[in-house]
Amino acid sequence: MSATDNTGQLTLVVLQIGNRRFALPSETVVELAPPVRLHAFPHTSPLIAGVIVRRGRIVPVYDAASVLIGRSSSAQRFYLIARRRADSASDLGAIPVNGECQLASGHILAPESDRPAWIAGRVSLHNESIDVLDFGALASAKPETTESNRAELSS
Amino acid sequence: MNGSSAKSRRARHPERVILFFVSGQLFAISAEAVQEIRSTDSLAGAAIEIENPELPKVRHVAERARQIYYVVNACLHFGLPVARPALVLILRQMRVAVLVDRIERMAEISAVYALPPAFTGDERHWYRGLTYLDDKVIPVINPGGFLQSDDFQHLDRVAKSALAQSELQGAAQG
Repeated sequence: MSATDNTGQLTLVVLQIGNRRFALPSETVVELAPPVRLHAFPHTSPLIAGVIVRRGRIVPVYDAASVLIGRSSSAQRFYLIARRRADSASDLGAIPVNGECQLASGHILAPESDRPAWIAGRVSLHNESIDVLDFGALASAKPETTESNRAELSS
Repeated sequence: MNGSSAKSRRARHPERVILFFVSGQLFAISAEAVQEIRSTDSLAGAAIEIENPELPKVRHVAERARQIYYVVNACLHFGLPVARPALVLILRQMRVAVLVDRIERMAEISAVYALPPAFTGDERHWYRGLTYLDDKVIPVINPGGFLQSDDFQHLDRVAKSALAQSELQGAAQG
């Protein structure tokens, strides 16, 4: 089930990573967490930068910027916590963001066929076309495939 | 804490752990899993170097009380920058000894939380889970994760030949 407003538009959380804006369906977003300590330890899972502890949970943090804008960003100090899967309330992940998140609503357009799997669609907000993310697919993105995705995005 | 993904495993009783550093990274291991802690210097006389390019994290075997232990360099095991280990943790019932930098202290933990499902790599073998102590998230070592059963089979073959050669050399010198 999708979170829609009374005009049938999907409610989204718009976030800024680097100089680009992306959106997540609000139904997947749990909270915007303040800057907390990132705990890092050895592992071999791609994209995971570490974990944060939030409300008694250990939440993995994804270096989403490295996929979405091609580089990690130290400016992202807050964490947008979202569900990796819509059907699992406990399978959470966090994306570092700069804290400037806003709620918006719009009609989602289907993505072009050549877009990466983690782009669920596009939404037009104030004449700006914004990619809507599929957080589950983004969390599963592998660095070796994201290189070509970045090339597609920048073209 | 509620634990990650609602899959935490709460210990019935507080668990004693040894906190130790490897290349600047803090780890915890159950005190019950460790038989002995020795300095690397004290072990040097009992260790034999082995030719083992297939498993570079194990370069020595050590004999203690008629038992062979495979000495695992924890830096290489965890993919950390190589440091100079000063201590070796001899594990209980594992035929494994682990080179570490230093012991931080003993501590008591009340829970080991399951690794979040987002972690899908080798760390699922390396760790029993995570614990939260003094505002730090610390990986709790799975003692059985240092070497897999096929690693033991391979090392048994390598060690057999190394030990035979060492005995020959000893006999020739004697």
